[in-house]
Order: sequence, then structure tokens, then C-alpha cells
Amino acid sequence: MTIVPGKTEARRRLQPDRSGVLRQIWQHRADYAYVLPAIAVMLIVIAYPIYYTVELSFFKTPPGLQLRDKTFIGFDNYTTILTSDVFWKVTWNTVVWTLGSTFFSFVLGFGAALALHRDFIGRGVLRAILIIPWVISAVAASYIWKWIYHSDFGIIGAVLVGLGLADRPPNFIDNVSTVLPSLIVVNIWREFPFAMIMMMAGLQTVPEQLLSAAKVDGASAWQRFWHVTFPHLGNVSTVTILLLAVANFNSFIIPWIMTGGGPSNASHIWITHIYELAFGRQRWGVASAYSVLLFLMLMVLGYFYVRALAGNDRKEGSA
Amino acid sequence: MAHVVLKDLVKTYGSFKAVNDVSLTVNDGEFVALVGPSGCGKTTTLNLVAGLIPITSGEIVIGDRVVNDLDPKDRDIAMVFQNYALYPQKSVYKNLAFPLQMRKLPREAIDKKVRDAARVLDMTELLERKPRELSGGQQQRVALGRALVRDPAVFLMDEPLSNLDAKLRVQMRSEIKRFHQDLKATIIYVTHDQLEAVTMADRMAVMNGGYLQQYDSPAQVFAHPVNMFVASFVGSPAMSLVPLQASTANGNTVLTGAEGWQFELSPHNAQKVASAKTKKVVLGARHSTIKLHKSAVPASVPAKAYTVEPTGDVTFVQALLSGAIVNISVSPNVAVAPDEQIWLEFDQERMHLFDGETEMALKVN
Amino acid sequence: MSMIVATAPRDQTRRRMHVDGWRWAGRIFLVFMLLYTALPMIWMLITSIKSGFAAMQFPPQWWPDEPTLASYKKLLDPQNSVGRDFLRFFWNSLLVATATTILSVIVAVPAAYAFSRFTFPGRNLLFFAVLLRNMFPAVIFLVPLFILMRAIGLVNTHGSLVLTYLTFGLPLAIWLLKGFYDNIPVQLEQAARIDGATRFQAFILIVMPLSTPGIIATAIYSFIGAWNEYIYAYTFLSKNDQLTLPVGIQRFFSENTTDFPGLMAASFMMSVPVVVLFLVLQRYFVRALTEGAVKH
Repeated sequence: MTIVPGKTEARRRLQPDRSGVLRQIWQHRADYAYVLPAIAVMLIVIAYPIYYTVELSFFKTPPGLQLRDKTFIGFDNYTTILTSDVFWKVTWNTVVWTLGSTFFSFVLGFGAALALHRDFIGRGVLRAILIIPWVISAVAASYIWKWIYHSDFGIIGAVLVGLGLADRPPNFIDNVSTVLPSLIVVNIWREFPFAMIMMMAGLQTVPEQLLSAAKVDGASAWQRFWHVTFPHLGNVSTVTILLLAVANFNSFIIPWIMTGGGPSNASHIWITHIYELAFGRQRWGVASAYSVLLFLMLMVLGYFYVRALAGNDRKEGSA
Repeated sequence: MAHVVLKDLVKTYGSFKAVNDVSLTVNDGEFVALVGPSGCGKTTTLNLVAGLIPITSGEIVIGDRVVNDLDPKDRDIAMVFQNYALYPQKSVYKNLAFPLQMRKLPREAIDKKVRDAARVLDMTELLERKPRELSGGQQQRVALGRALVRDPAVFLMDEPLSNLDAKLRVQMRSEIKRFHQDLKATIIYVTHDQLEAVTMADRMAVMNGGYLQQYDSPAQVFAHPVNMFVASFVGSPAMSLVPLQASTANGNTVLTGAEGWQFELSPHNAQKVASAKTKKVVLGARHSTIKLHKSAVPASVPAKAYTVEPTGDVTFVQALLSGAIVNISVSPNVAVAPDEQIWLEFDQERMHLFDGETEMALKVN
Repeated sequence: MSMIVATAPRDQTRRRMHVDGWRWAGRIFLVFMLLYTALPMIWMLITSIKSGFAAMQFPPQWWPDEPTLASYKKLLDPQNSVGRDFLRFFWNSLLVATATTILSVIVAVPAAYAFSRFTFPGRNLLFFAVLLRNMFPAVIFLVPLFILMRAIGLVNTHGSLVLTYLTFGLPLAIWLLKGFYDNIPVQLEQAARIDGATRFQAFILIVMPLSTPGIIATAIYSFIGAWNEYIYAYTFLSKNDQLTLPVGIQRFFSENTTDFPGLMAASFMMSVPVVVLFLVLQRYFVRALTEGAVKH
């Protein structure tokens, strides 16, 4: 006979605690001291700007930052944006840029992590070299690649001509159809090492015993990867892809330095476009409205981001 | 050394009550074990005594001071943790010296005390090692040493042996017991292993679901469990508990099993059953108080052998009776086969009877 | 038994061929990645030791006929205006990145510790608010921050950059460090508190030394982020003698668009500090990511 673990079990859930949030806050008052500096900095540099941006998006603003002269115009800025052709062009570019960069960065990074997982001579050196593009400044990367893509003296053009694949050096970044893919290649160059590091870290946590068990069960290398390694990396992959997507969606330096959004907006993405509206054409109101729209989109992405991270946190909590 | 008093101790987490109105007194120099299954509140109780978590209500007295609002460092206690909690970056010497440094003792005094403790625990040659270079048993000993150097009022121990292998555990068990006898130390010892509590403690406090179930000497707890939980938790193999139906006919009280068999209770046991409010009675019997017969004898009940486990000295037979499993120990030369028909005879003097509703032990009014 | 012996060899050859196939695919892939990664950097180095004239040739000189360190000499010579500017930018970047790093550690360590250890009301909310900061692009904050900085008199000071960099470095720093603290058994601090330490002493004497690798990783991360940052520096600073390297280089070469050897030399020198720092301390960084972000 199994023992009923005492009537006490049921009893301990009966009385709900009515101590109140305030009392709890008071009891934990010392704990807040630890987070206070972080929160204070965040509030100044985040909460205030967000509030300000939302406010400004409903105003028509004169050029220059003499914002006292702004006039309230309701949703006009938003209608202006949503009815303009540039908006849809830039949005499409942003989608291509974000998805293309994220997908290839992740695939190449994951592939490199897998290939580097087994120990071999020179692995450490190879790994270090592959990480370097991620460490160096995006400004430096932009200039390096701008020189590589150069329409007259670029090395890629010279190689293509030398191999007889082209009559004259192709113009990669001064051409509406090739500029975005060319910039994506640069972005991937800088981003894949991040995916690689994350996935390498993830691979280390795949339990050897499971892989051995699968081997004993007669699984092939591919089957072991597909049934053991890959499912185990689900959480790391989600976090990595989200972090990449957010970073790519928010990237600015590469298109800004390499093309400034040109030619004819072919490489403008949201962020560069907003920057140009605000600081180039001084249309602060429209730029703010753009920012608010961007903000809303990011909230959707952010929902998944927090859920992925929260899932991570919860699992660790129960472990 | 000092005594410890817990008075109506309560700890809640939100609406969850981890510790419910626990009151108990630990006398000066006494070894008390807090024992219970995981999640019963024993470790929480110990942490409350240590001051590592704040109490919700109640009172804790150590020595003659109420320590409710004192920091752990001011309670004059030492604690040994399940995972030893040795500072990994410090050598054994520095681990032992740390509590003394925190109390701002002069360097020579620290050195003397550390070396004394190391000698007592026979680990002088380990002093310069780092914790990760030690075996589990050695780490355990360092943890004990770190508690020892302080000469505290009370020792708190949180499952200190559960990370050791079985052989080492038995050895360390007697070492801790020896340690208690030599120092006349007040010790509160948390464990989920009732055997540790029974073998080491002067008194044991059995906890379940945040409530203190019974607080008495191991012999008393073993002989007179207050309820079914304590009865089944203390002792190995566990006490067998058989749910039966009580009825009275012609002035005799009989218990009826699910299979329809009956047996008559002694007048003393009949009085106990009469005090119960219900007809559902649970019979409790330890393995050594049940006789196994290969054929029907008077006052025996029929059962079916289920598994047979020879251990060398004795053979344990599990039998099916009235829907419950009953443990019986027999001499190894008694041959019983699984599924064999057997007859069981209960010792009326040493059997326990519980109320099937409240699960409390039945007593003569 | 005999059956196993009989079938084993054939089985093994088949498996080896199979495994070898994957291994070869991996090797080819790695060679491809190595070329993709390294060739642009090599081309940067080769260009940087060409003369301006040699760089502007078609087809290009694969290796310069007359290698020269003229570009490097020019950048590092405090006597001429180019070198003076470059060295000043370099110093500014170093100053801003170092200040950011120190402040990040000071702010992130207690916050991460609190998020790991305490369960105060609003803990999760605050934690995710901090993480969410990572989501928002610099551009959203530029205008209001610019106005804010102007209001508190920080425009055209390095203080405006340090304050800003602090916030966008903090989320990941806190997250990484929290992972570290989660892995330090809480019993260590409890033991220290029973041994006579206050909560703060337990933190400083026991926990801090154990989390050094995490702190180093956080520091590298902050330093690299601040060193490479462009957009805020580009917006907040206008005085030439205050620019940091990324902006300074961009300003300078928008005026000298054809000096590619000089540009490549500057890019190289700008990358050296962070690459060296990273390579020396990368094991801490990878470990921090493993323990902080992944191993749950």
C-alpha cells in the first residue's frame, strides 16, 4: 500500500499570503541598491528618449534643432510616410537585408562551429582568425570592402577579368541591382563569427553520452547530428538567430559608409533612411514618426526575443 | 555551547507555507536530527536558525538571546553544507582561517587554532592543497574543520554526508558521532536518511509538509510512531501498513481483510479500535513482528508471496495482503517461492493500529 | 560472437568512408571560410604598404613592386598634421573606451549579482527591460539624446559618449555576468556569512574573485564596443580634436578619397588594439558566452 503523505500536504496551501507588495518591496529594499545604478542610467538614456520621440512624431518641426517652434499636426507625419514610395522601397530593402544577413550568417557560423568542433592541429589558430572580422570596427570593414569592390582598381573585378569571366571590372556598389547583395556579403563577413562562437558554445553542451548512445544504436553521423545534436541546440539557435536579426535590423554603419543609401535609395534601409531624414534633411518630425513605427515593429520582434531569453532563464531556474 | 529554542516558527513564500508553526527545544549539548522527505521544510528550518533567510513569524532563541533579527555572523553558529561550500580559490589552511580572520583574531592565534583543528581531524599534510585537489571525504573533513575552529555555540549540519559514497558515509557517521561525544556540542543535523537520524541523534524531529510530526528519541519514535507517516518513514524496511475493516460481533472486535479473512483482536487492541471514529483501520507491523507459516495455524491470515530477497543474514519476503505489500523477515533456511500460498501471524503486543481517516495512531482512552 | 567478428570489418570500412565524407566536407568548408575571412584582411595589409600610385593600377600589383611603410610613417608622425590628428583620435578612442569599460564593470557587476541572487518584486520586469534595451537601434535615441546632452552640457565632450556607450553595453554585460553568478553555488556565500562576513564582505571576498573570468569578458566586450562605435560619436562630436578613431578616419578620408594605402593603414592600426586584446583574452570571452548565455 502506498502511503498517503499526511493530510498536512493539503493544508499548507490553504492560507494565501496577504502581506502585500509594498511590504515585500520594503523587505527587499537593500536588494534594489545593487540594481539602482544600472536602472538609473537606463532610465535617463532610454525612457526619456522614447517619450521624446513619440511626442515629436506628432509635430511639424522647423529645420535646425530649435524645437520650440514646433507645431502640432496629429498623424500627418504618419500618413506622409505610409503613402510615400520610398517607404515601401526602404522596407523591402530592410527585409532583404535582415533576412539575407541573418540566414547566411547563421548557416555559415553554424557550419564553421561544426567543422571546428572536432579537434585538429591548428584549430585554435583557425578559430581565432575566423573571429577577427567580428572584432574589428565596422568602419574599417566598410573601407576594406569598399576598396575590394572598387569599380576601377578593386581586386574582385581584377580577378574576374583575369579569369576571363568579365570584359571589364563590374561595378558592384554603384549599381542598383548588385549593391544590396554586395553589402550583405560584407555584413555576413562581420556577423558570422558571432553565430560561430554561440554555436561552438552550444555544441560543448551536447551530452557525449547521448551521442555515444546514438552510435551504439547504429545512427550514422548525419542521423546523430539530426536527432541528437540539432534538437539539443534549439534554444541556443533561437537566441542566436534573434540576436543576429535584431543586430542586422538595426545596422547602420556598413550601408552608411559604403554607399550612403545610394544609388537611388537601392541600399537604404530603415535606419539609414531615418538618419538621413533627421540629420540630413532636418525633418525631425517625420524621422520621429519613422522611429515610432520602427519601435512598434521591434516590439513584435522583441516579444519573441524576450520569450526566447525567458525560456532560457526559466530552464536554468528549474535546473 | 548553548541550547536552541524554536517557538511557533513560520516561513512562507507567497502563499506557500514552507515551515508551519514548528516549535522544539534543543538542549545544551544535544544532538538533534531534523529528518523528513525532500521538500518537508527541514533545510528551510535549518536556514532559518542560521539566519540565511528571514523568518515570517515566530521566535528563535540561541543561548539566552532571541536571534530573530541578527545576521548569521552574529548568531555564533557554524554550518556544514551538503556540497561542503569550501572556498575554491583558497587553500585548506585559508579555508580554515577565514572564519577566524573575519573575527579579527591575531595572526598567531589563528595559526594555532587552524593547526590544532588540522591535527584533530588528521589533515595537517593537506593544509596547502586547494579544495579541488581533495577527495570527497577529505573535503567533508575540511568543512567540518572550518566549523570546528570557531568553537561556536551551535553546529548546524545540512545533509553533510549525502554526497559521499556508501562506505565513506558509514565511516564519517561514526566520526561525527564521536565528534559530538568529545565536544559535548549542540548539533542540529538535517538529513533525509532516517537511518542517519536513528543512529546518530539523541532526539529526532520528523517533519513532513512543513509540519513537525513527532519529536522524540529514536527509540520512542521507532516504538511509538504518532501517525502513519512517521510509522512508514522511520525504520527499514518500512513498516507494512494494511488497510482493514473493523467490526464488533458478540463483544469481540475483528478486523476483516479485502480477501474476506478475519482475525480477532486482543482486548487491549480492541479498546484502541473502539476509540476510533471510523471503521476503517490500518494495521501497522514491522517485518520482525510478523511470523510466516507455510500452513494455516490459528490466528493466522492467508497471503500470497510476491518477491523473495535473500540478504544473507535474513531473507525478506514481500507478500500481498488486502491490497497492500507486507514485509516479513524470515530465517534464510525457510524456503519460500514467489506466488506460494503462505499464512501470516501478527504479534498483537507489538502491532500498531491507525485511524484510516485521520492517519493518527489509535490509543486507549 | 563469431558473427560479430565476421561482419565487423565490412561495417567499419563503410562507416569510415561515411565519416570521411563529412570530414572532407568540413575541411573544404573551413578552407572556404578561411579565404572569405582572411583575404580581405590580407588585401588591406598589401594595399597599406603600396604607394598611392601603385595602388591605382589595373591590373593591380598582387604584391607591391616597391613595398613602403610611408603610410604608417605618416600616420604615426606627430610632426605632420595627418599624424597629429591620427594620434589624437587614437588617444581619444583609448580614453573613451577605457572609461566606458571601467564604468560598465562597476555598474554591471552589482546588477548582475542582484538579478542572479535576489528575488525582489519587479526583478523579472527590470531584467527584461534591461535586455530589451539591446533591441533598439541607436537612431531612435539619437535626436532626443542629442537634445538631452545639449541640455546637460555634455555635447562635444567625451562624457556624452561614455554615458551612452554604458547603456548599450550594459544589457549583454549584465546577462553574461548573471550566467556566471548563477553558476557560483549560493552556499559559498552562506558559508561566508556564517563564518562572520557581512553580505557585502561575502560578495567582495568570495564571489568577486570567482567571477573574475566573467568580469574580464564583460570588460573586453565593453571595450571593443566603445572602441568601434561610430554613430553616436559621429553625431555628438563636432570639434576635430575630440573625434574618436572611426569618425576621425571617416572625416579625414572623405577629404582624401583616393589615398587608399593611407586608409588601409589607418584601418589596420585602428583594428590592432581590439584584435590583440581579443586574441589574448578570447578564452575568457568564449567561456563567458558558454556559461552565461548558452549553458542552461
